[in-house]
Amino acid sequence: MTDHSENINMPFAVKDCALITRMGGVDTAVNLRELRERIRVCPEACLFHHFMETLVRPSFDDPEFRNDFAVWSARYLRDRVLAERLGILNPYKFDNLQQLRETVVETIDDRLAELPYVPSVPKGDDFIFMQAATVVFDVGILLESPYQLSETIPQMSYSSIYYHFIEARRRTEERVDDFTAWCKGVEEGCEELVEAFKGIEFYYMTLPELKTTLIETIEPLTVKAKHER
Amino acid sequence: MNGKSLAQYEEVVGSVAVSQLRQLADNLVGAKVVHVNSTKEGGGVAEILHWLIPLMNDLGLDASWEVVEGHNSYFNVTKSFHNGLQGNPVALTESMTETYEQTVAENADRLRPLLEDADYVFIHDPQPAFLLNLCGNRRGKWIWRCHPDVSHPYRKVWNYLKKIVANYDASVFSMPHFAQSLPHAQFIIAPSIDPLSEKNRDLRAREVENTLARFGISPDLPVLTQISRFDRFKDPIGVIEAFNLLNSTVDAQLVLAGGGATDDPEGEAVYQEVLQAAKGNDRIFILQLPSDAHRTINALQRASAIVIQKSLQEGFGLTVTEAMWKGKPVIGGNVGGIRLQIHNHHTGFLVDSPEGAALRIRELLRKPERMKAIGKTARRFVRDNFLLTRHLREYLTLMLGFRHGLENDLIRV
Repeated sequence: MTDHSENINMPFAVKDCALITRMGGVDTAVNLRELRERIRVCPEACLFHHFMETLVRPSFDDPEFRNDFAVWSARYLRDRVLAERLGILNPYKFDNLQQLRETVVETIDDRLAELPYVPSVPKGDDFIFMQAATVVFDVGILLESPYQLSETIPQMSYSSIYYHFIEARRRTEERVDDFTAWCKGVEEGCEELVEAFKGIEFYYMTLPELKTTLIETIEPLTVKAKHER
Repeated sequence: MNGKSLAQYEEVVGSVAVSQLRQLADNLVGAKVVHVNSTKEGGGVAEILHWLIPLMNDLGLDASWEVVEGHNSYFNVTKSFHNGLQGNPVALTESMTETYEQTVAENADRLRPLLEDADYVFIHDPQPAFLLNLCGNRRGKWIWRCHPDVSHPYRKVWNYLKKIVANYDASVFSMPHFAQSLPHAQFIIAPSIDPLSEKNRDLRAREVENTLARFGISPDLPVLTQISRFDRFKDPIGVIEAFNLLNSTVDAQLVLAGGGATDDPEGEAVYQEVLQAAKGNDRIFILQLPSDAHRTINALQRASAIVIQKSLQEGFGLTVTEAMWKGKPVIGGNVGGIRLQIHNHHTGFLVDSPEGAALRIRELLRKPERMKAIGKTARRFVRDNFLLTRHLREYLTLMLGFRHGLENDLIRV
């Protein structure tokens, strides 16, 4: 349950977050079969990390693939077919991480059935399962109206955008972003904003791209709302 | 200590990154943090602690830095530990472990009140690790911070040290591949560079020109540089081979600069091999620099058109980070932490052979605009990921995680 859906008529408290990465507690994988086995049993936090948290940890801002399993398949297993099949998976289209896990395992099973061998990597190139803890902290900004977002988002850090627009989907009952949860709680006039947020295909964006998209989405609606008042 | 304040970094890393640090640290004001290592000067750990402690204090934490003291016999043992952790078979006798434990016990008598009272104790590397066994009344969290590449340790040394470090509350490694199996949480904090240090700060063009002149390097021809000690794993001979492959088609100069060869028998041998390989080519400059030649290295990196780090084995590869921060395209060996930093065609090129290096050098020198674009992306990549502010943020995040319960994925402070 999000902070904001719990306090729907309350001001919106802008938060930020920082990640600390740790080992996932699962053995490394040196071939595709091992990868499949480890994915089958790894903690959900590992799946979340390798699919969703790639945006906020130190990484290149324009990667070819969004999830680490696809990156590993392309770069180390040198299996671009598998990489593309894994790379197209949007984890937010699944109801839960267990469903995502099953689809990833199935995708790998299909690929193993097609190949006459089990692709493997030299020692040192193995896939290492990681997870992260997210520390959430206050940035000291309270918003009274959703339309204040147009002034606030440009000032927000990328990790703050990540926390409110992406990570929120792990916390909220309806699996929506914090802005949407808050807007829905405000009595009137935010339907267009909620619809606009819903239309953002955020998973394939970098955080700078997402931030720009949010600004471009909110700005005209804010101008329109001011005129209508 | 260099005593730099966070405000001095704001211009470089931006106000958002600095605000984040202040907001995180607001929840740790007054926390007693003690870092312990084995030297105040020299080496990467001391370099980190020189900036980390003042910045933690600037943020309102009560941070201090202690150093374990000992005789040569103790440092000989810990040098063996260091070599063993990096995979070299070394002798480990009972008298060596006795010397180690006895020396740390003498230090514990002095440090115990401070350490037992601290909220967070960071013990860097194996030298002071045994302190934990001697501070029975400790109340804070003890974290073993392991800096070197311990991915393939010599088992005899690791088995001894593992018994000691297993009792810590957590350990921190620089890269996932370095982590070892331990019965506590193992965190990953990548290294970083200090953008205001002598090695990385902006230099005047005149100083860069003077540095080239001092070594007789022409300012009119492109300079290709590899900065590293004379070590086979850095493949200096491979770099010369790559340069020789270019010679007929590209007008350039090669600089191989490094230090530390004189007190390292293996290094001296490699240095001689490099001299031999470069013999007769007046476009190749082999420079042996003292370990504190930070500004010289800075100037050489800045004077370069391309920086090379053609390692065959590498920990993280901070020389790559330094060059990228200076906006240089880097051609690096396809190994270790270099892979985390170089993204092919975007921040540089990864290569697996002298031929690969020659190919990329030729390609870049013919496309100055491409070099510029790659350099720009590389600098931005380092600014966002590998400056000390990110490093500090992760230390703060780890401490907050401990304070509020690391068993949760989401920790609200």
